[in-house]
Amino acid sequence: MSLTLTRRSRARTAALLALVLLAAPACADDGPAAGPGGTVKIGLLASLSGTYQSVGKDIRDGFQLYLSAHDGKLGGRTVELVVADEGNGAATAVPAATKLLKQDRVAALTGIVGGGSVAAVQPLLTESKVPFVGSNGRPELKDVSRVWHTSYLSDEPGEAIAAHVREDVKGSVYAIGPDYQGGWDELRGFTEAYAKAGGKLANPDGKTTFTPFPATTNFTPYFARIKASGADAVYTFYAGSAAVDFVKQYARSEIRDVPLYAAGFLTEGGVLDAQGDAARDIYSVLNYSPDLDNAENRAFVAAWKAEHDGSPTTYAMASYDAAAVLDRAIAAAGDDATPERINAAIGQLGQIASPRGTWQFSPTTHAPVQKWYLRQVRPDGRALSNTVVGDLATVGG
Amino acid sequence: MPVDPYVVPAVDGVAYGLLVFVAASGLVLCFGVAGILNLAHGTLFAIGGYTAAALLDGGWASLALALAVGVLAATAAGALVAVLLTRVAAAGHLTQALVTFGVALAGGSLLVAAFGPDDPPVRVPAALDGSVAVAGHRYAAYRLVFILVAAVLAGLLHLVVRRTRAGMLVRAAVDDAEMVATLGVSPAVVRFGVLAAAGALAGAAGVLGAPIIGPGPGTADAVLLLSLVVVVLGGLGSMTGTLLAALAVGQIQTLGVALVPSAAPFLLFAAMAVVLAVRARGLATARRAT
Repeated sequence: MSLTLTRRSRARTAALLALVLLAAPACADDGPAAGPGGTVKIGLLASLSGTYQSVGKDIRDGFQLYLSAHDGKLGGRTVELVVADEGNGAATAVPAATKLLKQDRVAALTGIVGGGSVAAVQPLLTESKVPFVGSNGRPELKDVSRVWHTSYLSDEPGEAIAAHVREDVKGSVYAIGPDYQGGWDELRGFTEAYAKAGGKLANPDGKTTFTPFPATTNFTPYFARIKASGADAVYTFYAGSAAVDFVKQYARSEIRDVPLYAAGFLTEGGVLDAQGDAARDIYSVLNYSPDLDNAENRAFVAAWKAEHDGSPTTYAMASYDAAAVLDRAIAAAGDDATPERINAAIGQLGQIASPRGTWQFSPTTHAPVQKWYLRQVRPDGRALSNTVVGDLATVGG
Repeated sequence: MPVDPYVVPAVDGVAYGLLVFVAASGLVLCFGVAGILNLAHGTLFAIGGYTAAALLDGGWASLALALAVGVLAATAAGALVAVLLTRVAAAGHLTQALVTFGVALAGGSLLVAAFGPDDPPVRVPAALDGSVAVAGHRYAAYRLVFILVAAVLAGLLHLVVRRTRAGMLVRAAVDDAEMVATLGVSPAVVRFGVLAAAGALAGAAGVLGAPIIGPGPGTADAVLLLSLVVVVLGGLGSMTGTLLAALAVGQIQTLGVALVPSAAPFLLFAAMAVVLAVRARGLATARRAT
């Protein structure tokens, strides 16, 4: 490349940069987030591309389902929903969140699939003083003053099912999961509560076996070790394609008759179709199942099935609930629905009626105190579905 | 140390290794012969996998159909890569890598657009959809049969490369491309044929291997990475070396993980580093393209 060309391209870059810097302050005066004209801007950030796009789409669709069931209004105001793509994680989530908060100036933010994305977006929320009603990923956070979640904390599924597994399984349980933050939290929740209930792990060193993530696609060698350990049951957490591999290989392995207990994501949503018959009889714990018998759930499932194939997932349900939370909070914030007032109103909501049953925000973690359900994969007509077979503990806070 | 718990991982390592061999052999042909680093190779495998997921219905006829369609589709895709590479064939590996990487990205997005972001289920023929007893252990029937089929494929590939005119041309092109050109065979034709044949191999591996390495958004990358490791370990361009390397990778990924699970995250690459340090040309001896 010649010198002049380099210089020219540098000049072009500098000009572009200057243009961007000029444009930024111009965007900063777009007016208030919730106009007196009866509209309110809500930002929804979710993975619409990449590894987690099926979760991201459920989150988007769950929120939109609530909106269309309520004439496109939350708290009596017409909602202008601005959707942005979170991509695979923090690197793509931060610019998208910046656009929603600084340029679109939304009154509240919702969605976000990945825990890492939430952690990376949080400083922006503090800076712009906008409340975030998350519907999935929830990392360890020190400051939750503007962060609310309608989903769960990662260690709660394991905590909720541990006592039941202790009672149900005569003997020892082998714990195995993926080697990343989500896997550590999910498995720690189980092993700590299981040990407290007097249970003993079958793992040779008494500690959970963690498999490399996402590199592990063949679980056969781990199954050989589980067989050798003489375990009477297995507890695990996997999601996405790892869950498909794990379950399909488990069903054809030499430990296929060993009962399998899992955090609900192992058999939730699209992965269950991919697993097919291999998933039959697996027990899992989750805060939701489409066959729960309450009025809110019947309405939710019917509305969902009118627009989509198959049953709604816990991801769609949590996002539907995020819309319900914003609906009540915006109404409570009154005529002047500023982000600050909406945030304050969320803290005063009390009990929330939901397809999962009634729940409320924990005053300390800002995540739900909710009931967890024991589900089993059973045939439901021609398809397989997660059928509720019992109530487990109420956990949270 | 009791041997018993390691029987199944060892057998599984053979199945896995042979699958990796069939998948990687196409890349060896490309790299050894046409001198082309085809980074879209994993995508060709994924095409086969998605075809299997779409067509398999639990019967034998559907398996034959999926194999035919998958091989044809992947062959066509391989030929397309060859056409796209015509203008940059003379350029270095970096240019080829950029073009084929672009094809891989675009192809991956097209596959996700066509088949969705989830991993589709793959149904094996009902007769093989169970497990059988191997030395007192349960093992997936499909994988056991796959070992036999892949062994036959490997044998056929060996015969084609060693005994047929096409195979001889390919080997001749490896040794001295200019001399082959002087003899009246266009290198472009050889390159086209080799990329198409590599596509066919990847497609066959994708269809038959779909129940083992299932199709999904991450499949292309995973298969490309494994294939590249095998190609490097096998000593660039040697079929025997590739087979040995693939079987070694299979055992490292199964038996190795069963023996030392704590080392699982880096076992494969540690083995690769050791082999390269000890023997820079890979596992194969001086014989090339054999």
